[in-house]
Amino acid sequence: MRRALAPVFLGSLGARRLTTLLSILAIALGIALGVAVQVIHDAALDEFDHGMRTLSGEADLQIVGPRGGFDDALFETVALRPEVAAASPLLEVDARLFGDERSLRLIGVDVFRLGEVQPALMPQPGEGQGRLVTLTPDSVFLSPGAMQALGLALGGTLTLQAGLEPLALKVAGGVPGMAGQQVAVMDIDAVQRHFGLRGRLSRIDLRLREGLGLAAGREALAPLMPAGVQLLAPETARAQAAGLSRSYRVNLTMLAVIALVTGGFLVFSTQALSVVRRRTEFAFLRAIGLARGELMRWLLAEGAIVGVVGGLAGVALGYGLAAAALKLLGGDLGAGYFAGISPRLAFEPAVAAVFLVLGVLAGMAGAWLPAREAAEVSPALALKAGGDATGLAGARRHPGWAVGAAALAAVACLAPAWQGIPVGGYVAVALLLAAGVFVLPQLAANLSALLAPLRAVPIALARARLAAVPGHVVVAGAGVLASAALAVAMAIMVASFRDSVDDWLARILPAELYVRGARAGSSGYFDAAAQARIAGTPGVARADFIRHDTVRLSADHPPVMLIARSLSPDGRELPLVGRQVKTSSPVWISEAVADLFGYAPGDTLRLPLAGSPHDFVVAGVWRDYARQSGAIMIPIERYRALSGDPLANDAALHLADGETASAVAARLRERFGAQTLELAQAGEIRAVSLRIFDRTFAVTYLLEAVAVVIGLFGVAASFAALAAARRREFGMLRHIGLTRRQVGLMLATEGALTAGAGALGGLAVGGAISLVLIEVVNRQSFHWSMDIRIPFASLAIFCLTLVLLAALAAVLAGRQAMRQEAVMAVKEDW
Amino acid sequence: MRALLCVLLLLVAPLVRAVDYPPVLPGRTIELPADSGAHPDFRTEWWYVTGWIKDETGAERGFQITFFRVRSGIGEDAPGRFSPAQLILAHAAVADAKHGRLLHAQRSARASGALAGAARDRTHAWVGNWRLEEADGSYVAEANGQDFAYRLELTPTQPAMLNGDKGFSQKAPDPANASYYYSRPQLAVRGTLSIDGREHAVSGKAWLDQEWSSEYMPAGASGWDWIGVNLDDGGALMAFRMHDRTGDALWSAGTLRDAMGRDRALDREAVSFTPLRRWRSPRTNVEYVVAWRVRAGDRELELRPLMDDQELDSRRSTGAIYWEGAVRVFEGGREVGRGYLEMTGYAQRLEM
Amino acid sequence: MLELSQLTRRFGGPGGRTVLDRVDLRLEAGEYVAIVGESGVGKSTLLNLVAGLDRPDGGTVKLSGTDLSTLDDDGLTRWRRDRLGFVFQAFHVLPHLTLAQNVALPLWLQGQQDASSMRAASEMLAAVGLAGREAGWPRELSGGELQRVAIARALVHKPRLVLADEPTGNLDPHRAGQVLALLRERVRAAGAIGILVTHSHEAAATADRVLRLTGDALVPVTNTQ
Repeated sequence: MRRALAPVFLGSLGARRLTTLLSILAIALGIALGVAVQVIHDAALDEFDHGMRTLSGEADLQIVGPRGGFDDALFETVALRPEVAAASPLLEVDARLFGDERSLRLIGVDVFRLGEVQPALMPQPGEGQGRLVTLTPDSVFLSPGAMQALGLALGGTLTLQAGLEPLALKVAGGVPGMAGQQVAVMDIDAVQRHFGLRGRLSRIDLRLREGLGLAAGREALAPLMPAGVQLLAPETARAQAAGLSRSYRVNLTMLAVIALVTGGFLVFSTQALSVVRRRTEFAFLRAIGLARGELMRWLLAEGAIVGVVGGLAGVALGYGLAAAALKLLGGDLGAGYFAGISPRLAFEPAVAAVFLVLGVLAGMAGAWLPAREAAEVSPALALKAGGDATGLAGARRHPGWAVGAAALAAVACLAPAWQGIPVGGYVAVALLLAAGVFVLPQLAANLSALLAPLRAVPIALARARLAAVPGHVVVAGAGVLASAALAVAMAIMVASFRDSVDDWLARILPAELYVRGARAGSSGYFDAAAQARIAGTPGVARADFIRHDTVRLSADHPPVMLIARSLSPDGRELPLVGRQVKTSSPVWISEAVADLFGYAPGDTLRLPLAGSPHDFVVAGVWRDYARQSGAIMIPIERYRALSGDPLANDAALHLADGETASAVAARLRERFGAQTLELAQAGEIRAVSLRIFDRTFAVTYLLEAVAVVIGLFGVAASFAALAAARRREFGMLRHIGLTRRQVGLMLATEGALTAGAGALGGLAVGGAISLVLIEVVNRQSFHWSMDIRIPFASLAIFCLTLVLLAALAAVLAGRQAMRQEAVMAVKEDW
Repeated sequence: MRALLCVLLLLVAPLVRAVDYPPVLPGRTIELPADSGAHPDFRTEWWYVTGWIKDETGAERGFQITFFRVRSGIGEDAPGRFSPAQLILAHAAVADAKHGRLLHAQRSARASGALAGAARDRTHAWVGNWRLEEADGSYVAEANGQDFAYRLELTPTQPAMLNGDKGFSQKAPDPANASYYYSRPQLAVRGTLSIDGREHAVSGKAWLDQEWSSEYMPAGASGWDWIGVNLDDGGALMAFRMHDRTGDALWSAGTLRDAMGRDRALDREAVSFTPLRRWRSPRTNVEYVVAWRVRAGDRELELRPLMDDQELDSRRSTGAIYWEGAVRVFEGGREVGRGYLEMTGYAQRLEM
Repeated sequence: MLELSQLTRRFGGPGGRTVLDRVDLRLEAGEYVAIVGESGVGKSTLLNLVAGLDRPDGGTVKLSGTDLSTLDDDGLTRWRRDRLGFVFQAFHVLPHLTLAQNVALPLWLQGQQDASSMRAASEMLAAVGLAGREAGWPRELSGGELQRVAIARALVHKPRLVLADEPTGNLDPHRAGQVLALLRERVRAAGAIGILVTHSHEAAATADRVLRLTGDALVPVTNTQ
């Protein structure tokens, strides 16, 4: 390309500063959101991964079991195998601080075996403490991060909750290898002793004999694993942990990409109109010797420049957003995937480059059709026709294409997820958007026909113009359609999701009052005596106890939550979906278990309990929004009989008639001490859960707002550009006797019709996309279903507002042109 | 290696006031083989093998392997599989003049099933795949490390030698500082040694000590010097002295077996150590007497080391620095035997 | 030498209207002719065919021996770029380029992007009476001045053939006279063939010869004034 021609084209960008700026802004916003989402999660994942790596140290393989641990006899068997060079047992507890909401990761270690496998975990006795202080049961060692977070120093006292009792430990030293993590380290025997975990281990890290391959080692050791205990490479465990948040990340990134696509539409709108305006200019350039391909390349370059500038601004803005969001929302943007780590932001050239390229592509894609059209125009005709904005070639009606795209979208929805990412769903979303754009002119024509009874001249003129130049509808309406579709789809999905979660909470929390010892694998629990005392508290009509554990159904998946609680034979307490089966040994699986492991009602499910397998029948599938990796419900009587585990984590209390939750709660606090029990009324839990839900979706609301603003930019920009190009037309109209008000009405009608078509199309496409999001994207990413709820009222208000704003934008954009002296405008080129 | 234990004892001491260790009392006679197993009630116990071996090429090396049992006093109630109540610590070394320094390795673990432990009924201590085990009248010692591995069969050629008063070995003027202590000198060694990537068939002579106690070191002592010598005439000598910070003897004693196999207990006056030559470690800057004149009853022996540098610097793991190595024994300028010399308490003050 | 032989152009498919029917014309270098005719008689069609912007249904256009029908679209583009100069009724001076840049545009298209192109543009601007206005903007100029810029642009790359389509249609008579004189002078100075298409007899009178397009022939007109 002849660089000297740059002023011819790039000068044009400068000449229409406002629209260029808007296009750049739109692309920058899309890029910024994408970069922010990506960078934040990379930062969080990095820190998370670093922590996991430090913890697994130099292990070749890890033996992991359910969260409640596995029999520690396995250690001897494994450690003495000739394939094993070194083995280190670990017992992890999520230790709750006594009288405090916070908890701390407590790791029980054998100092004699750490050195060769996980040197980073080695506790270092403080000054004046002997080395064997690491063995004493009342000593604890804190990582620098934990010391700081807890405000403790050497010699201080850390009080944890063990069962329902306080356990005072002396801070006898540090864990210097675990800088950046918040962990406490203790002797493994002490952890077993204090936390009721006698005979349990949660992990064994292994180093294999030198020269023995990983596969050979795994093959030799796998037969030794009891039911429910798996041999994993540390990378697998890390990948499983990271995989949990991946779907969420991908979803957010896709939303950002949709914002970017909307930006691309805006580039399309402004480029298309700018091309129309410059038709004669291009015809002249072609006449004096500019080749067709070169014209096209230069016009694409205009789009690319918009993309580059928008991309650069977007990357910078994205890092700013990321920094702000990390501060305000945390590394998971409020979704709760990464607790207890503090990620640091780092510039990632690869991410920046990818998004920059995306920005350029969006700009060039937007410029593609107009450029092709400009290049194809016959110079002789264009020179003769002067500068009217007739005939946008890319804008013929394509109802057939629309049907085709929609059909392809339906097919794409049938595709299974790829590596847990619903690729088919995203393809369907893109196809639906395309179908909407194809059907836009038809929609505009139909809308326009509705106005036929109105005989006013300006309205008739507007209708005539839309009919004559359907391309204008596409140009101005596509952005509206894309943004409206995104907003509508998200609105329907979030409304459906929120309603379903609300219903689900009501079903899953039937009792009035909930008492929590603490989470699974954690330091707090109710033993039999505590359970009796809770049940015997005056005012408690019935106490249902709940035990949480995890089970590993396969080495390829993260552990599945096992929930033991009192259940009717038909499981009617659960939010069941679909078919149910009558059986004498029932378990109920969550939708995630059904999706991930392929179980259906009636199937036999082999559940490892206390190290031996037991067969159950899947009696039904229940909806679960809380555990993405899956959960299995089992009647607690049966769980206790098979596992011999009498403890409970939570209690659901049904109150006697006339009792209030707060009175019973007060009595419980009196009995157990104010600091040991976490008490919550069902209503509180529900409110907190919904608050977390809303916070999680805060980011998506932001994306929606951005998309809508971009769509309106599109309308304003395209009308402004068109109005300028139609100055002679307006002049002529004023000449033959239309009042200024009438021209305004004509423009408003055009704007409303265009935006109306876009909004209607957006409603339809958005509705379809919401179905895809609910039935395909959510199902495949998170494995949960939901009941569809359409927020009709707010959608109607949203669409009306959009149409009115678009009409206003059209009038405002046209006003400039109308101000021109009519006579002058005509004289200029008639 | 006893020094290692010393450090451990020091560390455990303040933690274990709650546990009552049985005292070591005079008048109790060691009964063998009944006493060759572990005595887990006592605070510490060790089985300690040293010796000289010669390979098929004629190259001579010293070797040592020790198993310690420590009753930590921690977690004895309701013990679990990982209870640290009994700890087993093992140490092995090879003294090879070609390397110019000791090659050594160590293992430690809580006593727990097949992983680590010390049997009560016979001499059998193990950590992972290291072991010292008596069966059918002879012992097997097995150890391996990064630089070496050996499996040696040790066959007694003489009865055991009870030290002190029928096994009651006083360590200080106060009889409270004492141990039960017997030795098995003149063990015939046969086995294999892998070193420098080659496996050698080896044979030679070794010495086994078993000693258990609750209060070993006397107050004011900083460490000790000990020798165990197999004399070429079939006799044997064990001698030790406790020394203070300045290196002066606080107590000394020994047992001398003559060529006829008659044992004589040597009291404080009958044993003395006189320095002949000193060597300073370039690593730790600690000075050791590497050549001694030892008077034991009517014998006057001169000890010369296999090599000067037989220092063990385990500051990074246990903190102990000591010298423990193979020595040749001369009398009147003529070599009369081989043995092991241990010197502790020169690097740092060991306070009890 | 420009040679049109049997040039034919129809519109509206088979049975449509024949605008040009077997028209012949031969012009030597240095000739400056005017073509006049009624509205709709095909003047612009003829011009488009000569410029290679349109393809004839019959006959040939040859300039200096090059038959335009042998060139594809890119070939025609290159040919126009090198051999032709255009002056339009609507000026088509690009509003976002300076005057010098506008004039230099044909040179840029030929790949001449250095300072010499700007020097040439400067000289041309001076030649059309706009010396020193290189950095000025089109919006600062009157219609007559804009057409001067257009003339400078049409001649800056020394074309063999200059086509002017109603170059004074947007100008008042006084300005029109000046522009026509300038155009003739510059075309002559360049030694190019000039074709002036107009429906104005005054304008046509500035040419060496006047030809009337009648649909099937170009008839010489004797200057009756």
